[in-house]
Amino acid sequence: MIIMGRTVITITQQLTETESMLAPFRRALRRSDQYIFDGIFAAARRHITAIGQNESLLPFESALLAIMLEQAKDIAALQHEIEQIKQRNG
Amino acid sequence: MDEQTGWLFDVYEHPRQGVSVWLLSDQGTRIHLLMDFPITFYAAGDFKLLRQAWIFLRENAQLARTRRQDLFIGERDVLRITLSRPALLANIIADLQRNFPALDYYDADIPISLRFITRTGVHLLGRCHVTHNGNLIQAIEPLDSPWQIEHAPMPLRVMILTPSVDPAHCPPSSLKVKYERVEYSLSVNPLRPFLIGLQADLLRFDPDLILTDHGDTWLFPNLAMWCKESGQQVDVNRDREKDVLTRRANSYFAYGQVVYRGAQAHLFGRWHIDRKNAMMFNEYGLDGVLEQTRVTGLGVQEMARKSPGAGITAMQMLTALKTGVMVPMHKQQAEGRKTLTRLIQADRGGLIYQPIIGIHRDVAQIDFSSMYPSIMVNYNISPENESVGLDALSLDVTRPSGLIPQTLKPLLEKRLQMKQMLSELSTKDCEIKSLRARAAALKWLLVVCFGYLGYKNARFGRIESHEAVTAISRELMLQAKEVAEDLGFTVLHMYVDSLFVQKEGVKDQSQFLPLLDAIRAQTKIAIALDGVYRWIAFPPSRKDARIPVPNRYFGIFQNGEIKVRGIEARRRDTPRWVANGQLKILSYLSKAASLDEIQSYLSHAREFVEQEKRKLKAGQVPVQELIVTQSLSRALDAYRSPSSAARAAGQLQSAGREVAPGQFMHFVFVRGAERVRVWDLGVDARMIDVKRYCEMLDRAVTGLVSGFETAEIRLGI
Repeated sequence: MIIMGRTVITITQQLTETESMLAPFRRALRRSDQYIFDGIFAAARRHITAIGQNESLLPFESALLAIMLEQAKDIAALQHEIEQIKQRNG
Repeated sequence: MDEQTGWLFDVYEHPRQGVSVWLLSDQGTRIHLLMDFPITFYAAGDFKLLRQAWIFLRENAQLARTRRQDLFIGERDVLRITLSRPALLANIIADLQRNFPALDYYDADIPISLRFITRTGVHLLGRCHVTHNGNLIQAIEPLDSPWQIEHAPMPLRVMILTPSVDPAHCPPSSLKVKYERVEYSLSVNPLRPFLIGLQADLLRFDPDLILTDHGDTWLFPNLAMWCKESGQQVDVNRDREKDVLTRRANSYFAYGQVVYRGAQAHLFGRWHIDRKNAMMFNEYGLDGVLEQTRVTGLGVQEMARKSPGAGITAMQMLTALKTGVMVPMHKQQAEGRKTLTRLIQADRGGLIYQPIIGIHRDVAQIDFSSMYPSIMVNYNISPENESVGLDALSLDVTRPSGLIPQTLKPLLEKRLQMKQMLSELSTKDCEIKSLRARAAALKWLLVVCFGYLGYKNARFGRIESHEAVTAISRELMLQAKEVAEDLGFTVLHMYVDSLFVQKEGVKDQSQFLPLLDAIRAQTKIAIALDGVYRWIAFPPSRKDARIPVPNRYFGIFQNGEIKVRGIEARRRDTPRWVANGQLKILSYLSKAASLDEIQSYLSHAREFVEQEKRKLKAGQVPVQELIVTQSLSRALDAYRSPSSAARAAGQLQSAGREVAPGQFMHFVFVRGAERVRVWDLGVDARMIDVKRYCEMLDRAVTGLVSGFETAEIRLGI
C-alpha cells in the first residue's frame, strides 16, 4: 500500500499490525474463542478516533482501554436487562 | 489612435514583439493586437557568482542591483534582469541555470498571462478598454473585476466536432460537425473533400472555441498529418503565424495513483478543448472552466486540461506578484525538525469517526462549508507564519494576513455568495445550471488549496501549515460534537467536515436550526444543514459485522432524494448494470415514507434482482452495461501476477496498441482461461461470465438490504 506524504502510520494500521503479530496466539485458540478474540479487536476499532486523539507513543494502551469500555458497556446493558426482567417477574 | 471596448480573449508571447493580445470586441469582431512587454526576473546568491552572471548577461539584458522580498527569508539582495520581450526568457534562463546552478532564481517561470494581469489589471475574459495605434496597444484598462458574480456574458462562437466512434475502438469513418443551427456528418474519406469541407466551415463560422471529443489524441494530430500528405491547408488557428502547439502524453504519480494524461493540442487566437482529455470537464463543464480562468489567470486551454492545483498555484503567484513577493523557481522549504512525539501529534489528517452501525431514523447531516479554506483565512495559516498544530488556535491578530489567506479570501467569499444565491433561486431558473457549475469550479480550487499546502513541489507549501489546518479542524469538530451533546443530540458519525446527529422527537429541519446556530457561534465557521434523512444506514465491514466503516453510508432524505457514499454504485470500476441495479433497489426503498413501511418494498427489490439475473442469463443485457473500467497501475512488465486490467492491457498490446500506466482499461469478464476480454477488441455476448456478474450484483444488493432483513430493525442506541 502506498501512503502519500505520511511518515507516521495510522492507528488502523497499527491495530492491524498488532493483530498480525498476535496471529500465532490466535491460531492456537479454539475456533469458538477465535470469534470472541476478533470481537475484542472489533471493539477497539469502534474507537479509533479516540485512540488517535490521545497521541500516545504506545497506542495499544489506549486500545485496551477502548476494549474495556466496550465490555463495560455490554455489562451495563446486561445489568439493565436483568433489572427489567426482575421487575417484570415482580 | 483607435479605441476598442470588449473582452480579453487570450494573451500569449509573440515571437518578435512583446505579447499577442486577442480581443473580442463589442462590435463582434475578433481583433489581434500586439503590445510591448518587457519582463523582469531575479537572481540571488553569492555576490561573486552574481557579478559573473552580470558579465554574462550585460549584452542581452537591462541589469540592476536591488532588494526584493522572499516570502521565507525576508528581504534579500538580488540582481534584477529585464528582457525586452518574453520570447527571450526561455533560452536565457536555461543558459543561466547551466552556467550558474548555485544561484536562486525568482519570477523566472511565471505564465505570461499572470504577468499581463498584474501589469494591466485586466483579467482573462474580463471587460476592458483599449487604445491602440495600428495593431500596437498604447493603453489598456480594466472595466470589471473577476470577483464580480454577475458579468456581461461573452458571446462565444462554439463549434463542436465529434468522431463517429471512439478512435481507440476503431478508426472513425466520419466527423460530426455542429455549430449554430448547422449539424451534419462529414465523411473522413476521401481525404481531400473532408479537409476542404472542414476548412470551409472554419472560414464561414470562424469559431472562438472548438470543442471536440478526442481532438487532442485523434483529430488534431491526424489533421496535421493529413494536411501534409494531401497539400490541402486547414487553418485551425486564427493566428496564421502559429502552428498548433502539441504536448506529448505522459504518465505521472499523484494522490497515490498513476495518472495518464493524453497528448494535447493547443490553438492560438482560438481555443480547443477536448472533452475527453479535460480533467474536470464532466464535473463543471465549460462554465466552470471559464470561471476558473477568470479567477486564476491561467489560459482557458491550460485550465481545461490541468488540475485545479495548477489554478490555485497561479492564484498564489498573482498574489505574490501584486504584493511584491518574489516567486521562487524551485521550492526551498523542507520539513522542519521535530521530535517523535511532536511528529505523532502533528502528522494526522481530518477527524474521522466510527459510525454507530445500523439503520437510524430522522438523522440530520450538518456540513461545514469550505472548512479548510475557512480555517486558513480565519486563523491566518500561511507558510511564512511559523506555527505548528494547535498553536495556531491562539490567534495573533497583529500579524498581517499571509499569502495564502490573501489569495483565498476573495475566492471563499465569492463561492459563499454564489451558494447563497443558489439557495434563493427557484430550481426552474435558467441561471441555476451555470451558477452551480461555476460554484463547483470554485469549490475545487478551494479543495486543492489545502492539499497544495502540504505538497512537496508546491511553491508556497509548508507541511507544518498543512498540519495546522487539520489540527484545528479536528479541534473544531470535537467542539461541534460537544455543542451537539450539550443540546441533547446523539452524534452518530463525524466525517472530516460533516456531522450526523439525532435526537428523540426531533425530525423537522427547523428543529435542528438552534443546533446549527450554536455550532456556528462556537466555531465561527459557516455551517449548513445538508438535509434530514428519513433513515440512513451505516453498514458494517464485510469482513466482520462488528466493525464500522467510516465512509460507507446510504440514506433517503425527507424529500425522497437518495444519498450514497462508498457503495459499489459510486465506484468507477463497477459495471453499469451492477451500479444501476443498486440504485434501482435504493429507489424502491425511497418509496417507503418511513422505516416502518420498508418491509413491503423489500420484496419488490428482491423480485427486481431475480428479474435482472434472468435477463442477463437470456443475453438481454447489452454488453456495454457490463464493461468494467480499471486503470493500469504500473507498466505491464512490472506485474508479478496480472490484475484484470493488466490482462486487458496485454490483449491490447498483442494487438499492436500502445499501453501506458495510468491509462484506463475497459473490459468485460468472460468465461474460460482468458477471464477478461478488452472492450476495444470486440466482445461477443455469448462469452460473458454470467455467474461472476450475478455474484457482483448479489454482493452489491446484499450490502444494501441485509441491514433491513434482520428480524428486528436496530434503531441505533
